[in-house]
Amino acid sequence: MGSMDNTAKRLLQRLVRRIPSQMLKTTLDKWSRLTAAQRQSMDYTESKWALTEKLLAICEENELTVKHIAELEMIHVIENPNLGMWYVFQLMDPQDDAHSVELTQFKEQFKSHLSELIRHVSIKIKKHTDEAVWIRIAWGDTFSRPNHLKPTYVVHYLQTPYVFLTSPTSKQKPLLSQALVLSTRYQAIKDANLSGRKLTAIRDLLMKQYLQVFPTKFPSPLAERNCVVSNLHIEKEQAGSAANRHQMACEAFGDGILPQLQSAVYKLETKFRDHTNKTMTERDEPFKCVVKFASTNLLESLRHSASSGVASTPVTPLLSSVPLKGKNYFVITDNGPGPSSQMKPSQK
Amino acid sequence: MSLLKPFSKLPGLNTANILLVESEEQFQQSLADALVEETSVTVNVRLAKSLPLPMENDESRPRIDLVVFIINLTSELSFQSAEASLKYLDPGYFLGKVCFMVTNARNASSPAERLDAVRKLASSLHCPLLFAEDQTPDGVASATERLLTILKVAAGLVPIATALYVSNLTRCTLPLDIDLPSFD
Repeated sequence: MGSMDNTAKRLLQRLVRRIPSQMLKTTLDKWSRLTAAQRQSMDYTESKWALTEKLLAICEENELTVKHIAELEMIHVIENPNLGMWYVFQLMDPQDDAHSVELTQFKEQFKSHLSELIRHVSIKIKKHTDEAVWIRIAWGDTFSRPNHLKPTYVVHYLQTPYVFLTSPTSKQKPLLSQALVLSTRYQAIKDANLSGRKLTAIRDLLMKQYLQVFPTKFPSPLAERNCVVSNLHIEKEQAGSAANRHQMACEAFGDGILPQLQSAVYKLETKFRDHTNKTMTERDEPFKCVVKFASTNLLESLRHSASSGVASTPVTPLLSSVPLKGKNYFVITDNGPGPSSQMKPSQK
Repeated sequence: MSLLKPFSKLPGLNTANILLVESEEQFQQSLADALVEETSVTVNVRLAKSLPLPMENDESRPRIDLVVFIINLTSELSFQSAEASLKYLDPGYFLGKVCFMVTNARNASSPAERLDAVRKLASSLHCPLLFAEDQTPDGVASATERLLTILKVAAGLVPIATALYVSNLTRCTLPLDIDLPSFD
């Protein structure tokens, strides 16, 4: 019996299947668990099946274990942060020494806190070039060994209050939260109500690393109208209002490239209001429903619908608070009694 | 409320003026670019998202000879916007100087009821209904050609023919079974 158990084999098989052939070489080079001769012997034009068999043999030869294969997976995930679903959590109430937490201290603390909470857990921590700390956690429970086939990834930028998670289950979330709060020297953690398939995009949105526009940047819509007229015989009757709409859309969403979000969800718990439908309006309990906007690039779509007039301008705060507050999940409730109360996205 | 009137201004010499109304402002741009290419007459194109037209342009606006409502059949908003704009036209326009142009009629996501609604609208106003394809250059070219034919008549540039006369031949008619109840 070699060093590679069943889990290790399955993990490796799955990884090779997932990594495109042309990327496999660079990923294996970064892994540095193969000797130069072994890397030379790999023929990347072969089928995935043949490559897997070859790699399995090499791993047996080098006596690699599931932990080493997990390293390879981590390299692949770090290189491709835009696969899978990421959920954002926000740390709250920093303690006095929160700003001085550095990597080695965080590493040690996180590992010791989490292994205190749960006996069988495998943690791997790696610092990426852009200040991000990547953590891979394979969970076990009291009687079973860590399951490396269903790991959770955690990305945290030190000295920022944001934590990005993939696929946390309800059982693991409290453990993870506790370990994170203790090791980052904060006092609490909450759901930031933001999720998306692209880690880089949601990170940019939260840390405001995309091009923002301030109202002052557009002195007046007149500048827009003075642009070169394409043809003397074509005249736009409503050019002024089009420029105005465009300006308002840009004020809400910026005029540069926007971070790619896939959805925005609004959970409505407000009273039903419609003068033509008395039965529904007179009901006391709120009308519950969920409105979901989905697109390959949601913010871009919202900006376009505002500037083309499909959505009314000025842009409703419900839509503009997606980039403004860095959230894409909102619970909307009536503020206080009375039908005149304003609808506002509540701070959940 | 300012009505757009067909005969409130003098016509230009060998000039035809067309107003394209489209809420989505997509197809009108490519149509306009193709329309002004016409060499035998000077074609002026005015683009609008909806009616009424802004008052401040009243002075500079030439006499509009033909009003075209472009309706994207996949969008309910597009239809509603055109319907709402109609009341800002002087009744004189409906004597042959208005036409409807629909796009995406073959698109699977456009409901048949919407086409029926557009048909009813066009036939109740005695206007022609044109079908156009907005995605390819060929489609734009043929739509342009059809519009130019109507436009020249509406602008009075074709001897003997008048807009009212041509519209009697080209206006949209409903098959009887849609409108009338069956008597069995």
